[in-house]
Amino acid sequence: MDCNTCDTAPTILVNAPEVIQVSLTITEKAKEMLQGAFGDDRSHGLLVGVLSGGCSGYMYDLQIVESTEQDCQELNIDGFKVLVPNASSHLLDGIEIDYVDRMMGGGFKINNPNASSSCGCGESFA
Amino acid sequence: MGVFALDAYVLIVKGSDRYKFLDGLSTNKVDGTCSTVFTTKNAKIIDMADIIEMPEILAIIGHCPYKNKLIDHISSRILGQDVTISDVSDANNVYISTNDIEVSDGVTKVETFRGFLIVAPTRIDITVDMTLEEFSEYRIQNLIPHQGYEITEKVNPLVCGLGHLVHEAKGCYIGQEILVRMRSRGRINKKLVCVKNPTSNATTVGRIHSLKIDRA
Repeated sequence: MDCNTCDTAPTILVNAPEVIQVSLTITEKAKEMLQGAFGDDRSHGLLVGVLSGGCSGYMYDLQIVESTEQDCQELNIDGFKVLVPNASSHLLDGIEIDYVDRMMGGGFKINNPNASSSCGCGESFA
Repeated sequence: MGVFALDAYVLIVKGSDRYKFLDGLSTNKVDGTCSTVFTTKNAKIIDMADIIEMPEILAIIGHCPYKNKLIDHISSRILGQDVTISDVSDANNVYISTNDIEVSDGVTKVETFRGFLIVAPTRIDITVDMTLEEFSEYRIQNLIPHQGYEITEKVNPLVCGLGHLVHEAKGCYIGQEILVRMRSRGRINKKLVCVKNPTSNATTVGRIHSLKIDRA
């Protein structure tokens, strides 16, 4: 394979979606759980991102982070720092972060008005 | 047999997230050189591709007529990951050899289920000594599906002879729910078969036998 060309070959341009100023909500149950996770330490934030993959094309990526190298919007939702990467802002505008109790697999759940479908486990969407 | 020239594209994927990115978008476990299938969320085939692991890069070798659809599919899913894609199709020619032939420096050769895949810079001549008819006979004898014949956007990988590229235990990927459900419920109602001529609805017609996707 001609890998000399690999360095000089033009990169396929990705049509970067428009960055949207995200608004989101957190349910009372999710706030309780976040309060339990963060305590009084508000130096950390909840990173709400989207990765490619999952059964339906995109999957949510929730992490508690102190900082991130991703280019993010920082929101303050009722005292909680929420970080949303600009690269996936178009997929996350208007979401509701909920927390569901289940016998198995309880946890944070994203209700996303931008999702046309989601997979059975609820972790990925299209 | 011999060497057949494929109508193939060569994409280069760079970046620290390259393995995870391709693994999440295709049916086989992408942790090195392998063959895999990119599918829609309905598990229909976008393209079957060979992934070649090289230092710092992964090369995707697929079928040229399916290139734009694949690029649209994967490029729209780069969401902040460290992944860049470039197209070096014009600088390389791609071949399938049915035998393990010697190749010169600068030529990449990997063994795949179709035979030995050879990617050569355009400046290096590879002798092609296999016609399309001979390649078809080779595929019929070995039950090997090919893009544009058995591998099309109308089918899923389980029915067209690519079930061995659908990993049974890897994590989520696009189309996984449907493929796993088909397997677990035994609902793979068609399969690739070799039948004696004459036959109807053949996908590849040979001299004595043909390939077709028929009821399992």
